[in-house]
Amino acid sequence: MEERAARQQLFTTLYQKVFPAVAKYVNKCGRSFDEAKDVFQDALVSYYEKSHTADVTINSSEGAYIYGTARYLWIKRYKQGSQTTQLDDSSAASIIAETDAAPSEDKLLHFLETAGKRCMELLRSFYYDNLPMTRVAQLFGFSGVRSATVQKYKCIEKVRETVKQKALTYEDFLE
Amino acid sequence: MNEIAQIERHLLNRQMPGDALLFEAKTLLDADLRVNVSSQQQVYSLVQQYGRKQLKQEIEAVHQQLFTQPEHLSFRQKIARIFLNR
Repeated sequence: MEERAARQQLFTTLYQKVFPAVAKYVNKCGRSFDEAKDVFQDALVSYYEKSHTADVTINSSEGAYIYGTARYLWIKRYKQGSQTTQLDDSSAASIIAETDAAPSEDKLLHFLETAGKRCMELLRSFYYDNLPMTRVAQLFGFSGVRSATVQKYKCIEKVRETVKQKALTYEDFLE
Repeated sequence: MNEIAQIERHLLNRQMPGDALLFEAKTLLDADLRVNVSSQQQVYSLVQQYGRKQLKQEIEAVHQQLFTQPEHLSFRQKIARIFLNR
């Protein structure tokens, strides 16, 4: 997949360009490589999600955005002494929109990763990577936008049925 | 499929105001529709989680490459020097 290769190239470049500055900052505060890695990777995710959302514009250079986000996350997570503050910290969540799963959703996600990989990949391309439908059609080998759209809805239906079934199972389990 | 498209427009705020009101009214009267709306909402949330999880794996793969492969030696040394320097 070309998109995957392009992302790999992008992240490699950003690592080379921005990670040293984040590492310097974290080290200056007397802290470890792992902490630098941790916040830097989350900042990359935030940058990717922001830059792939049509209605959000990042008003600074990519380097400044990633460095600023990493620094912010690091201060939130580590500087206030609490090692346990993770992404669910309410302020950090304003930068990285919180979508961490509830335990039951975790199981569901795991199930979908194995049983419904192709549908999840298709839905990811459209809703997470925000690729245009023409590109999604190309990538997944559909004859055109129309059949790709039909497949997209079929996938939503399939995942939705799984969600419903699992909800029933959990209710049974709780009783 | 029509229903799925309609729920999608509703959840992603792509309805005309009049249609939105009508849809709200329909959900009040139709329990099955309500279940479908909430399950479909969960589908978008799962896709978001799935996307983020995959992306994190891709980033970690890049990290592993940078910190193991011979052609990135000078980058590694640069980072190592930063953490030696306290």
